Amino acid sequence: MAVASVTQGFGPEPPADALYLETRELRLQGFLLFLVSDCVLFSSFIFAYLYLRNSGQGWPPPGIPRLDVAFAAWNSVLLFGSGATMHYALENWKHGNFMKYMWMLIFTIVLGIGFLGGQAYEYTHLILVDHASWGGSGIFGASFFTLTGMHGFHVFVGVCYLTVLLLQSAAGVYTGQKYFGITAGTLYWHFVDVIWVVLFSIFYLI
Amino acid sequence: MHVEWATLERTGAIVAGIVVAVVAFYALYKDWTAQGIENQVFKLMLLLLGVGALLAILAGAGVLGTFPKGA
Repeated sequence: MAVASVTQGFGPEPPADALYLETRELRLQGFLLFLVSDCVLFSSFIFAYLYLRNSGQGWPPPGIPRLDVAFAAWNSVLLFGSGATMHYALENWKHGNFMKYMWMLIFTIVLGIGFLGGQAYEYTHLILVDHASWGGSGIFGASFFTLTGMHGFHVFVGVCYLTVLLLQSAAGVYTGQKYFGITAGTLYWHFVDVIWVVLFSIFYLI
Repeated sequence: MHVEWATLERTGAIVAGIVVAVVAFYALYKDWTAQGIENQVFKLMLLLLGVGALLAILAGAGVLGTFPKGA
């Protein structure tokens, strides 16, 4: 194994880039396993919510108003749009268009912040304006705030990660062949998008 | 002229949703023959991204997420 020989010191010391390329697959597999574990975390909460929903008498419980679908649809499109810009950021990086990559990354961060702002607005509205009904929303409110809050935290982490990527890219940390951080950032951001597709469907559409 | 916020949000969701869906499915079409585990994951995620955009369009158009009063 080439990787084993490098790590155990057999043979001539390869250049740093060669080592990087050899270990890239391992990093990718490790990162995908992390995403799978995160997926399991979300799945457990989602199935708990669906179980509670199906075991109750009507959903949402009596006295709890339906969530604002129009606003959620708009906010969802912001996040889905950021997924598209992030994908093209990576594509531009692969094709050597550095400035386009930077702009796409900035758009992604702005759209991510926009989504978080929308979620903060929705929370504020539910807690302060609809307090009379949501104050005692019980298991429905708990499920909603837990799942969307956990997702929002992931988006926040993603925004921080992409900001670091932006600064690192500007500083020249990544090169034409060494850009696993950008790939990982894109995978993570897509994952956050996909989770929201599920949450948007189960909380707002069905 | 008075336009309700909900109408603006729905219109925005439909217009932006169409753009995102087109971009996502076009990117998927372009990457369709790409090989490797990384690209397979990207393809799956682009597909789900496009589906999400379609759901947002349908929600904005009032096809999904509308419930009878008291439901």
